[in-house]
Amino acid sequence: MSNVTIGETPAWKDYEKIGFRVIFIYFVLQALPLDWKFYSYLFSTPIFNLHYEDIFNLANYTMRFGAGPATYADWGILLIIAVAGAVVWTYADGQRTRTYDAAFYWLRVILRYRLALALLAYGFLKLYALQAPYPSLSSLNTPYGDFNRWKLFSLSLGIVPSYELFLGGVEIFLAVLLLIRKTASIGAFMFLIFCGNVFMSNLAYEGGDQVYSLLLITYAFVIFSFDLQRIVRLLILQKPTAAATFKPAFEGIRKNGRWILKTAFLLFFVVIYGVKTGVGAKYDPYQYPTTKGLPAISGLYNVATFVVNGDTLAYSLTDSLRWRNVVFEEWNTISIRTNKPALVDSNNQHLVKRDNAERLYEIEGTSGRHYYSYAADTTQHLLTLQNRHPKLSAETLSLHYSRPDNNRVILTGTTYSRDSIYVILEKVNKKYLLEEVANGGGRNRKLKL
Amino acid sequence: MAHNTPTLPDEPVIRDAAPVALPAVDAPLSQLPAWKEYQLVLFRIAFIFFIALSVPNSVEWYQQLVQLDWTQLNYRDLYDIARFGSGINFLGNTIFGSSLLGYANWITTALIATAGGLVWTGIVKARKLPRKEYYTAWYWLRVVVRYRAGIGIIGFGFTKLLPVQMPYPSFGILNTNFGDLTAQKIYWLSIGIVPWYQVFAGVVEVTAGALLFFRKTTTLGAVLLFAALGDIVYVNFAYDGGVHVYSSYFVLLAALLLVNDVPKIYRLLVQERFTVPVNYYPVFPERWQRYTRIGLKSATIFLFLGVLFYLQLINFLYDPYKQPSVAGVKELRGNYQVTEFRLNDQVIPYSPLDTVRWQEATFENWSTFTYRVNKPHPLDLSNGGGDPQRDVNRTFEITGLAGGQRAFHYYADEVNKVLYLEDKYKPIPDRRNRTAGVGGDGGVVVDKAAEKAAREEAAKSAKDWIPAAIRKNIGDESLKIAPIALSARRAKDYAAAPAWENRKRFTVKYSTSDGSHVILTGVDENKNNIYVVLDRINREYTLTPSTLQAGKY
Repeated sequence: MSNVTIGETPAWKDYEKIGFRVIFIYFVLQALPLDWKFYSYLFSTPIFNLHYEDIFNLANYTMRFGAGPATYADWGILLIIAVAGAVVWTYADGQRTRTYDAAFYWLRVILRYRLALALLAYGFLKLYALQAPYPSLSSLNTPYGDFNRWKLFSLSLGIVPSYELFLGGVEIFLAVLLLIRKTASIGAFMFLIFCGNVFMSNLAYEGGDQVYSLLLITYAFVIFSFDLQRIVRLLILQKPTAAATFKPAFEGIRKNGRWILKTAFLLFFVVIYGVKTGVGAKYDPYQYPTTKGLPAISGLYNVATFVVNGDTLAYSLTDSLRWRNVVFEEWNTISIRTNKPALVDSNNQHLVKRDNAERLYEIEGTSGRHYYSYAADTTQHLLTLQNRHPKLSAETLSLHYSRPDNNRVILTGTTYSRDSIYVILEKVNKKYLLEEVANGGGRNRKLKL
Repeated sequence: MAHNTPTLPDEPVIRDAAPVALPAVDAPLSQLPAWKEYQLVLFRIAFIFFIALSVPNSVEWYQQLVQLDWTQLNYRDLYDIARFGSGINFLGNTIFGSSLLGYANWITTALIATAGGLVWTGIVKARKLPRKEYYTAWYWLRVVVRYRAGIGIIGFGFTKLLPVQMPYPSFGILNTNFGDLTAQKIYWLSIGIVPWYQVFAGVVEVTAGALLFFRKTTTLGAVLLFAALGDIVYVNFAYDGGVHVYSSYFVLLAALLLVNDVPKIYRLLVQERFTVPVNYYPVFPERWQRYTRIGLKSATIFLFLGVLFYLQLINFLYDPYKQPSVAGVKELRGNYQVTEFRLNDQVIPYSPLDTVRWQEATFENWSTFTYRVNKPHPLDLSNGGGDPQRDVNRTFEITGLAGGQRAFHYYADEVNKVLYLEDKYKPIPDRRNRTAGVGGDGGVVVDKAAEKAAREEAAKSAKDWIPAAIRKNIGDESLKIAPIALSARRAKDYAAAPAWENRKRFTVKYSTSDGSHVILTGVDENKNNIYVVLDRINREYTLTPSTLQAGKY
């Protein structure tokens, strides 16, 4: 390496070096998978047949000391470790090191790849409109006020797959900018605007990804900080500006190793993950259960007749027992609207699960309907219902069903509270304004509904 | 970890030396580099195009500016100054009969600008007075665009910064099923439920605009504007929001302002070369020039950041934009179940399928009564915007919403306990955003002739539906907000209210002691006798309201 010129960049000041040591240790601990829990997840998955859900979860793992999701307390602990480490480092170094340009370069590499990974992991979920799916029939038949903010945020995104695709495209594009050294700062800056909005949304809508989105913002700050002074000088102060003087040079085995690692990263997280997610979007979307429901039954049903213990109850908006309407989803979920609000599952974390029973998006953040999953015995004509709420999973009931014609379902059996019921459901030919307008040429017309 | 960088022989780094001598940037005009021929031609086209896009093109805008009563301003007065239609439109706003999603005006303007730019080039050549550069004109074009974009986005941003553009949902909306809303409505509501987030979005927009007023922060402002409005363009396409042209407009202006900077950033970061910014700023040798500049700049900032903030604050507190401003009858507030419903003395039991019986009812905090009935009715699919001053025309609670939800504006005679109700839905809507021109918010095209005919039809059959003596009890609605919020625009709009609007109307007596149990008797809009017993219910919502609430009720 004859073209290395040393000593042209000014030496770092003492406080800069000390500050850098703290930052270096802190962010390395944050960004590298050093937590045993990461490996316990990794080794619990079939490594040679990874599902996209697993790749997603591993890609977004962050260091945490408790059992639950990451918290700001985890950051505090890591910061204390980093400060302690920096003290030892400073003592050992005796301030002999002139600059940490190379270490800063490698820190940026780690954070660039870590951030790009997060963006790709989320980007593909959005590109295929998986993260916020189109609202379920049950959600369409739930009053607006019976959702919490976070669910409304997600539902509102779910109605426009094209916008979600756009957001996913932006995320993937930013990931690519971050992977290229020369555009990394531009990518990081754009990410700050993009994720700044994500973070504010988490605050406003009481979402569960506040800590994680802020963590990614701090990564982007470190990446961007490399060029911050130069950009301010050029664009705000409008003065002549020298380019960065530090460029990595890779030769021999390092050159090949770099290309192999880089290619492997792209192959795995863009090609393989991208394809797996695309296939998953078609056959195994993670937000809703994928077990099929009874054939040709999905729809909204009016509860035309409702008999409890031999008493026929008239339609009522106050009675505590009578059902108001029932939705059969395409998958094996029934939701019942009664006059009693349902217990809200207030999970606001974005969970990516493979087990159908844990795919709870449809019940999260709403009190409007009572959700049951069912197993159908089609020879006995028996439905075994189980409440989908994790805290109410003991609530099961068996109902015989018959379908005298395409528009009616008759259910008989005993409820969880030991009342015998006889229910006639009649399908409602419901037209949804959301779909009438979206499929019918927009808002510039007369519509009666 | 702490390896010693300089001593490692195979350290994977190359270091360049920075050039020692720094070229000067503040060169006089004569020393700045000459432009290439294609740059000169492009500039001439861009100059015509962007000037045309920065100048109001409708007579109404100038009229309203001249007629403005500066002593009794309404926030909307300044908003309308900031929001105008532009572009060359004397050939109409369509190309071969198509508005091209609203962008036809841009294309017409671009074609004319191209022709103009080429003619201009021809004249320069013919007169044998070759130009080497347009630094000065380029500076002034940027000034025009900076101020146009800055003022425009500030006008837009303040309705978010003091969150009234997207109101919090009324009871009637909260009770409406998600699927019974249009996509546009769902997006607007998703912002409306989090007023603090709306404030944040407003801060971003207003900041972007304010940064455009200063040379050195223009780039930052343009980046913010480009990013924020770029997203809004996409949102408008996805949700059929109707403001895609106007939001694209800001993206276009921001892009122009970034033209100088993109090559610089490319050179500095991607090519990693020493970069000298060339930013020509004219000097103002005369004192009057300097005073004029500072005076105009200060006046703009004072008007659009100071006065507009004040007006918008007043609007938020007492007269929120899309939400009716007058308080409803105090004891009649909240969600009601319809305990009993008699139509022409016949009791009709509740059934979700019945097409006559009310299912549930609400009295909003303001002067609106709503009920839900299982019967299709014509819908207002607009975004409930525009500049209505009269409460009856503030329709956010019915726009983009089905599910049998009906909303009525009421005038309350609290002496005799009678409500005079008018349907908020109007078959022929008013014209909205008069000065905005192209890039308005969609909605049904107004047919003035049809409106006049309908009004005459209504006049034939009706005498004043509220007797004069009763009007005294009701009082003047235009004065029923805090006096500090009264404005010339409000007075004018109320005074100009057409007497014979084609709306459904009905009158009911209400009797109640404290509002928990209310009996309504009267004749409904279809001339049936009704007797309705309402009982207030404590409807718990999962959606938690914000600490920030517009209006005073």
